[in-house]
Amino acid sequence: MTEFVLALVLGLLFALGTFLVLRRDVVRVVWGVSIISQAANVYLVTMGLLDGSVPVLEGHGEGAGAVTDPLVQALVLTAIVIGFGTTAFALVLTYRVYEEHGTIDLLELGGETDGN
Amino acid sequence: MTPDLWVLLALVGLPFLGAAAVPLVYRILGERTAYFAALVALACLGLVGLLYGTEGAQSVDWVPALGIELRFYVDGLALLIATLASGVGVCILTYSGGYMHGEPGQPKYYATLLAFMGSMLGVALAADLITLFLFWELTSLTSFLLIGHYTTESSSQYAARKSMLITVAGGLFMLVGFVLLHAVSADALGSATWALAGEGSMLENAGAMREALESEGLFVVVLALLGIGAAAKSAQVPLHIWLPNAMEAPTPVSAFLHSATMVKAGVYLVGRMRPLFLPADAHPGSLELWTLGFAALGLLTMTVTAILAVAATDIKELLAYSTASHLGLIIAGFGFAGHLGAETGAFHILNHALFKATLFLVAGIVAHEAGTRKISELGGLREDLPITAGIAAIASLGMAGVPPFNGFYSKEFLFHAAWETGAASGGLYYLIPVVAVFGSVFTFLYSIRFLMLFFGEKPDELGHVHSPPVAMLAPPALLAALAAVVGIGGITGTFDVPLGPLEEFVGSVMHAVEPAGAEETSFHYYLPTTVTPWAIMSALTIAFGAALYPQYGRLHDGIRSLLRGPVRANWWYDTATEELNPTSTAVRDRVQNGLLRTYATWVAAAFAVLTFAGYVGASVDVPVPQEPATYLPLALTAVVLVASVTVFGDLSLRVATTVAGVLSVLALGIFAWAIFGLGLTPAELATQPPVVFVLALAAVAGIAVSRAPSHIAGVLTLSILGFMVAIFYILRDAPDLALTQLVVETLVLVIFLLVLDKLPAFYGGWDRGRMARDGVLSLAVGAVVTTTVLVTTAASPNEESVIARGLAEASYPEAGGNNIVNVILVDFRAFDTMGEIAVVSMAALSIVTLIALRERGETR
Amino acid sequence: MSYGDDTTVIARTVARITLPLVLVVAISLLFQGHNLPGGGFIAGVLTAAAFALVYIVFGMEYVQETIFGDEYEPDGSVAGPAVVDRYRTLFGVGLAVAAGTGLGAMAFGKPFLTHTDEVVKPSTEYVAWIPGADFIFGTLFKFHWATAFLFDIGVYFVVVGGLLAILAVVGGE
Repeated sequence: MTEFVLALVLGLLFALGTFLVLRRDVVRVVWGVSIISQAANVYLVTMGLLDGSVPVLEGHGEGAGAVTDPLVQALVLTAIVIGFGTTAFALVLTYRVYEEHGTIDLLELGGETDGN
Repeated sequence: MTPDLWVLLALVGLPFLGAAAVPLVYRILGERTAYFAALVALACLGLVGLLYGTEGAQSVDWVPALGIELRFYVDGLALLIATLASGVGVCILTYSGGYMHGEPGQPKYYATLLAFMGSMLGVALAADLITLFLFWELTSLTSFLLIGHYTTESSSQYAARKSMLITVAGGLFMLVGFVLLHAVSADALGSATWALAGEGSMLENAGAMREALESEGLFVVVLALLGIGAAAKSAQVPLHIWLPNAMEAPTPVSAFLHSATMVKAGVYLVGRMRPLFLPADAHPGSLELWTLGFAALGLLTMTVTAILAVAATDIKELLAYSTASHLGLIIAGFGFAGHLGAETGAFHILNHALFKATLFLVAGIVAHEAGTRKISELGGLREDLPITAGIAAIASLGMAGVPPFNGFYSKEFLFHAAWETGAASGGLYYLIPVVAVFGSVFTFLYSIRFLMLFFGEKPDELGHVHSPPVAMLAPPALLAALAAVVGIGGITGTFDVPLGPLEEFVGSVMHAVEPAGAEETSFHYYLPTTVTPWAIMSALTIAFGAALYPQYGRLHDGIRSLLRGPVRANWWYDTATEELNPTSTAVRDRVQNGLLRTYATWVAAAFAVLTFAGYVGASVDVPVPQEPATYLPLALTAVVLVASVTVFGDLSLRVATTVAGVLSVLALGIFAWAIFGLGLTPAELATQPPVVFVLALAAVAGIAVSRAPSHIAGVLTLSILGFMVAIFYILRDAPDLALTQLVVETLVLVIFLLVLDKLPAFYGGWDRGRMARDGVLSLAVGAVVTTTVLVTTAASPNEESVIARGLAEASYPEAGGNNIVNVILVDFRAFDTMGEIAVVSMAALSIVTLIALRERGETR
Repeated sequence: MSYGDDTTVIARTVARITLPLVLVVAISLLFQGHNLPGGGFIAGVLTAAAFALVYIVFGMEYVQETIFGDEYEPDGSVAGPAVVDRYRTLFGVGLAVAAGTGLGAMAFGKPFLTHTDEVVKPSTEYVAWIPGADFIFGTLFKFHWATAFLFDIGVYFVVVGGLLAILAVVGGE
């Protein structure tokens, strides 16, 4: 059902992320990591085992039996904020690498200069 | 009487505390630190003295969750090894005070030597398999430091590395054996234990352990694993090669290592395990699996290394090979069943320690005072070193096994045990006593050769040899005196006036290595008074030895000429290590080449291959939806994807419009087919498409990011992906996530734009070959992820055991909150959140450090 | 970042109006977090976003001089904008508050980070003569507090401080 589409889209996103991580341009590598972490978050939310409504109860805790899985949401919530922190860190690192070495070409940074 | 726990802990702990104090003490005392260290060893000897007369186990919990204890056990064998380690330790440390005069790295030397002694005491007393392993490896570690004491010399480095490699590798085999024993103990004792000796331990239930090992088919396996560990440590053929190199260490270390510590650990292990593997009804002459293994190993080592000792050109090398040979004798002794074997092993450990420590110290004196260790350059030393010559005579005649010196008696026991075993089985087994005699002849030869350093002509090149200082002379004198006392005990024993305490002590050691329920025998030793086969064997050894000695030079040259290429165990070691080095360098250059894409490729490929192999290995069924309705969203997704690729692709506008038009018609057709052909109601369709549509858009955004012609375009499309994910969260009933995702996505966009402003417009291309390779790898990763998602989402575990259910139900009653996600974050799993906000802080701090504080550090 | 000079009047006006709204929404998300969608993380990123808006529209200089009253020296100080130090203090305080709630539980002999909650109602015994006292004191003044909220405030401070420090440092370049 939807899971099938989800599986295909997640597979596609992971493939694209991997492809980007293998590029020479550092910024693209950061994008790749970013796409992979987005996809991982979506996957985690999908892995919730319970089906039901929004995990917010009413009154004095009524309806606890019919909510969607709150645990995966709690996991992903922190993952999103931390993901921002690490993306920002990666970007700043990129910026500093450019400042120090004058290039954002990973091939040049790795010591190979001929482009092969 | 059980030993006092505090005495045990103090005994094992004191050397380590002493080692920790050495650097401080060295600042105050300088070179006299040797005597401080000797005092520590003396205190240990005193503590060992307190343990005499006690027997039993004491333990403190260490890792209770795994049942691991710091368990110590005292019996004759433990006391023997502990006495040797601390007693010889006192002599060695005192001697070091003279020997190490002016040498470099003394604080390190004394600290390591004390720690070495402590580790050996730990090995001797440990009765928990993990504790034993810990101390066992500590001896390897400390001996590595001691052998490599002269850190700048390549021969020291080679020797240290070799000993480490062999003994630690052996130790790992032993560890596997220990783990198997632990596992088997669950069958034998009801519950798994690590305890080797003492109450409820493996040794106490040796019979049950043996049965369990046999029923599991692990008897031979465990025996072999422990055997490899012991052989590596005790330098048994073919793992003996590290021992001769270990003479690179300062001579006191060699003396210690060869007599009382390190190599004795392997022998100790064999002795300790003997009651576990030998059946209680084993008697002298009976041929158990244990005997076949260890007697053969021991006799082989004894013979081979004795021959190698004859080929030695350096006095320390000669002694090193002789150590391996005598260890072989002890192992062979323990290998023989019955009380004779136990007597051989127990008594020879003591005798060997006494004469070998003495001889090494003598060799140290010779090397120190004569300035050379070459056998061919030495001779007639008795003129200049009369006392040393006397000491050497007692010790080397003991080593040769000449009556009435101490080594004779234990060798006599070996011959007796070998003869009984040969005679009991007959036939080819008569080879056992023959080999024992054959090996002993060589032992006799090299012992006499060592002694002859002091006699005969003094070579002219050898100038006047100074007398050693008292600190260097007293320890070997003391040890030789003890060896002489043991010898005299044998003479008096012949006239029924035995050396009571000694016999009683060796008897207790013997008792410790005999299986429970074995025939009770008391230990006596004396000179032979009747003609027995084993007395004849001793006589033959000495006769052959004396007859061959004039030919020593030819034997020496002959053996040396044979030792070429693959005949030498060293050849195998050197070839292997020399071949491994370039190989590992080549591998490193391929794997660690400093390019991110290389690492990423390895990680991604490993992920894909391992996960896929896991699925194949577990033969997982991939659930593929069967009903036609499921293909509808799929078809739609495909349509949108193709459309997007076309639109974002390099096609001209006209072609793109045409394709988009055709696809729209196709999409409408699919809808029509779904409604009219399959009879799905629009309501049914409506439950799926939003999520499908959002996901499809996310995929499109992902493709667009990958194809983005510029950084700005990529970031903007990345944002589209982020917002689609936020909408996905809304559709999945996750309001908190959607809110956070939306805001974070905005912030990410801001940060990206700010940083990109500063970066150059470099977009780096690759040639088509690499693109294709990366594409294949990416598709493999994607395929594995798709499979994983399908497999995991199809699994339906027991609803009752779902953690989230419990958390949801406890949310209001226990935490008073209705927003379950928030309650989980701030209450149920608050510790996790604590860690996560710490990560956020760290990321912020790192960025501040990288940018704002950069001027404070070094820049290029 | 000197976007302050080239933003339009429209942007400035919209920012002036939306900024208080965003902040109020953020604070309300923080307070309702225990029972309705919201919480420290969401409120934190929203507050940071509000500040990001101010940076973009009015510039770093404006924030530092008008809001914090500090001297702004774009290139003079090696340690970046002085405002970064304030943000660093902020997430330090946040971590301390979060850890403090955990330690508080230990003071009561409970494991680290054990939380409790309680519904507090003023007693109506002496005010029973007031008409409608039950409603006034029992419902309007009823206050349901949870120590977990203190922890959430810590999370809020950390997120706000951390994200703003990142924004300010990067923006300061």
